[in-house]
Amino acid sequence: MVSNHNVRRSGSKKMCALLFCALLIAIALSVLLYIYSRTYAKANRIGLQLTKNAFNSIMYRTLPHLLGMSVSAIIIAVVSLSFQTITGSRLLVPSMIGFDSVFVFAQTVIVFILGAESKLFVNPYVNYSITAGAMIAISMCMYGMVLRKRRNNIVFLLMLGIILSGILRSSASYLQVIMDANSYNQVRAATAVTVNNMNVGSIYLVAPIMLVVVAIVICRHRTYDVLSLGVANAKNLGVAYEREVNFNLFLIAIGMSVSTALIGSLTFLGLLAVNIAREIFKTHKHLIIFIGSSLVAVFALIFGQAVTELLQGAVPLTVIIDFIGCAYMFYLILKVNKKS
Amino acid sequence: MIEIKNITQAYGRNKVLDDVSFAIHDSAVTALIGANGAGKSTLLGVITRLIPYISGEVYIDEHEIKSMKTKEVAKKVAILKQTHHLGVRVAVQDLVEFGRFPHCGGRLMDIDRQKVEESISFMDLDNIRDRYIDELSGGQRQRAFIAMILAQDTPYIFLDEPLNNLDIRYSVEMMKIVRSLVQDLHKTVIVVLHDINFAAAYADYVVTMQDGKIVSHGKVDEIITKNKLDGIFDYDFNIIEHQGRKVCLYFDSNEKDSLA
Ligand SMILES: Nc1ncnc2c1ncn2[C@@H]1O[C@H](COP(=O)(O)OP(=O)(O)O)[C@@H](O)[C@H]1O
Ligand SMILES: [Mg+2]
Repeated sequence: MVSNHNVRRSGSKKMCALLFCALLIAIALSVLLYIYSRTYAKANRIGLQLTKNAFNSIMYRTLPHLLGMSVSAIIIAVVSLSFQTITGSRLLVPSMIGFDSVFVFAQTVIVFILGAESKLFVNPYVNYSITAGAMIAISMCMYGMVLRKRRNNIVFLLMLGIILSGILRSSASYLQVIMDANSYNQVRAATAVTVNNMNVGSIYLVAPIMLVVVAIVICRHRTYDVLSLGVANAKNLGVAYEREVNFNLFLIAIGMSVSTALIGSLTFLGLLAVNIAREIFKTHKHLIIFIGSSLVAVFALIFGQAVTELLQGAVPLTVIIDFIGCAYMFYLILKVNKKS
Repeated sequence: MIEIKNITQAYGRNKVLDDVSFAIHDSAVTALIGANGAGKSTLLGVITRLIPYISGEVYIDEHEIKSMKTKEVAKKVAILKQTHHLGVRVAVQDLVEFGRFPHCGGRLMDIDRQKVEESISFMDLDNIRDRYIDELSGGQRQRAFIAMILAQDTPYIFLDEPLNNLDIRYSVEMMKIVRSLVQDLHKTVIVVLHDINFAAAYADYVVTMQDGKIVSHGKVDEIITKNKLDGIFDYDFNIIEHQGRKVCLYFDSNEKDSLA
């Protein structure tokens, strides 16, 4: 019996390794496709010969983009999974409940109060610290409160998130309307980041932060395994539940603030990546799903961006991801409802 | 030994535990009985640190639980909740392995594997160890959860209505397991029961609760008496003796006739 069991287990380990390899190959191919789309495809389109110099200079600009997309995808996936574990829901990801509007709001308020020339705004380090601080404070207060009292009330959480982001968004646009034109332009430039319009300048600041957050979360994968058993089981097994949840919200706020600042909000990427990884790997072990969902997210982002470039931006990537993500969420809701 | 002193807990104004004090007898089965809403689950939650309390003290082996690390508490007491909802799909063996978390932090060593194997065979789960929890029958699931608690290897075990959803055969089996936990493994077990007959048959001590207070506490024979039970459950009991054991009849023996 025991040996039989071990066969099953090592078999599934092999399976995981195979799937990881397949995903890595898919990522490699999509990276090549992305590079191709930005070099040869573009040159062909314009009818130019691609010189070695031109290729190098394009690559010089492409690599930070690839790095930015990869790190952001990884952190979004990791943070989404940890958020799902502490909320006990497969339908929620942090971006759904308004983290990006906290970002826009914080940026706007900094400029509004201190002016566009203010060191606090211009200096990326200070700016990030303040923005991340605001996001941490707001999310800890709000979600800490909600999650502790109404853990399973997802509708309540979503509603609160929608209301909060509505309020923050409209106050931000109000402030933007009444501020002077220069400040307004500055704010727009800082907040209108998307995958296409990545805030590349800050990548060497945020990438290390992201990697640290990812490393911390992944190192604690065993604790997440226990947390996913539910509050009572986790407490019974000696997990200091409240402390874990708070620490997690803290990490999530940092992760979301830096990723939003770098490539904007990708509402459904986390949801898609985590759930697809769950479907593929069919395990409760967070270590595997953390890695799996990161790989899926990186692949989806880079591949999607490559396709977008090939289509010459006819359909922006965020639209594609949101569309697929929405459809998938719909499917998940139907599935979850059917079960219960 | 676990000692509870003057525990009070309230939700809003509603006092759920009102100055509760008692000591749990070691290496024995203590049955906790009382009407719905008497505060039994809350009491277990407080002792196992699942639920905070307003005032009072809980001592586990002379240590106040608030001064203990969460992990240390989890090495001393384990609880099977009344409803055990799992957020994830795990196999029986995985669940049992989780029981070792307080000891090894999820990194299973040889000693942990050994404990897991022991729990699995003690609960007779060998042939379903690879099955998913949500695919099991109520009885099997209950056994899987108890195996997890056994793997946790705590001297004190709390079971909140473990006979829920179990048919008669499984209920008897479960109570036999509870007895063997005490007899073979020298655990201290506190079990919430609704069926007084099970308490009468399998417990050493009985604690009765009513409206957040402990009404009586003592050996089975002293507690399972018509006088005491009537007050606690607000019901007219009929207690008979059968082969030297006390049996409660819950229904009026004339009921059928009067209906007919
Ligand atoms: N989370 C809660 N919030 C408010 N009231 C609660 C909560 N949990 C339990 N209660 C109340 O506490 C009382 C005791 O509950 P409980 O300990 O579950 O009783 P028992 O297990 O004996 O049936 C009940 O009146 C119940 O309504
Ligand atoms: Mg109860």
